[in-house]
Amino acid sequence: MAIPTPTHPCWQRLASGALSRMQTQHLGTQFLIKNMERSKDPLPDKAQAIRAYFTKWERLLAHEIQQLAKL
Amino acid sequence: MNNQLMRVSAVAELLHAGRPLAIAGPESALDQLPAGPWIGGTIPYFMTDAGGCIVQDDRVFVTDLATFGQEVNFACLSSDELERISGDAPDNGVALAILPAGSATHQRFASEAASYPDAFVKPTVGWISGVHLGDLGRVTPKVYDGREARKHEDRAVVAHIRLPADQLALVEIVNLFEPEEGDVLHFDETRFEVGECSVNGERVRLSDYITSRGLEHGRQPLIGDFAGAKVNVSLQSVDTAQGRVHLYAPVFPGVDYRFAKPQPDYAEHFRSEIAGRDTSGAAWSCNCILNFVFGELEGKRIGGLSGPVTFGEIGYQLLNQTMVTLRVV
Repeated sequence: MAIPTPTHPCWQRLASGALSRMQTQHLGTQFLIKNMERSKDPLPDKAQAIRAYFTKWERLLAHEIQQLAKL
Repeated sequence: MNNQLMRVSAVAELLHAGRPLAIAGPESALDQLPAGPWIGGTIPYFMTDAGGCIVQDDRVFVTDLATFGQEVNFACLSSDELERISGDAPDNGVALAILPAGSATHQRFASEAASYPDAFVKPTVGWISGVHLGDLGRVTPKVYDGREARKHEDRAVVAHIRLPADQLALVEIVNLFEPEEGDVLHFDETRFEVGECSVNGERVRLSDYITSRGLEHGRQPLIGDFAGAKVNVSLQSVDTAQGRVHLYAPVFPGVDYRFAKPQPDYAEHFRSEIAGRDTSGAAWSCNCILNFVFGELEGKRIGGLSGPVTFGEIGYQLLNQTMVTLRVV
């Protein structure tokens, strides 16, 4: 499954808290989720960081990427 | 050969040949190494194929970074420059950092690492240097910038490692501990030293809570729930008179903490955990001095990759009582 496009509404949803519902056993993703929960950064910045993260790790995170547009 | 103990004379030959190395060992051995492409940190404890061991001669533990990295650049950073650990890492790369235990650099990294630029896009692994436990309070942990063969008590040394374009750095941990199902602790601030906290919503002195439960021996860490990742925070000391608890890593607000269940057999538990895992591409590893001591790992084999036994482990952020492994896959 491909990474959703940069304009896909999922990124805003994920940055607004939906990311916390992701099921993952991947350490870096778990830390990212907790960091986003605790971060006071503006939503657009968080959305961009989340997208950059999954773009980088696409090959290792098929299970997580399947969830992106569904959370 | 990689990730093994070697005599300093053999390591010097590797350095003269231009091999980029990460080195761990006793201060007396590291002091003998020539200037060259290396970083290092003091520690005499190791897990090897032959089991846990304590080195007090001229051997050091060597990781040849060229075995998995295409290009390696080194940095030596002050406590004000730590965001460069991940910030200066290559886009497809990993940072291997070593920081001295008890230093301001150690404390700042522990509190801030998750906020550094690209902290989750360009992972950091590494460890906190230490000393022989018999030298605690008399000798300070050091890190080495090999480019000048110079040691430091309060700086971070970093190897920025660029990986081949078709490979990724996968940071994994083995944490033997499971959280209790009972009390949930919360903390107001990011701190290594704690007075009060809340237990199930009720304000208490953490030192009183710990002593009331007989946990001041420190064998059972606090476990923070980071979206399912278990992040240990180990107890350094409990001062009931002053009402202060000193920790080996900071606790963070906004995280649920529980104390760990007791761990009956570290070596057997490590062996079974590691045996069930994919270890392909294993490149580097470290384990915790508290696991070594409480688990009585000297002379015991646990499997997995050899590595230093440290005063703190780094897998994206500072960890305690945890084995960290870097795989390149």
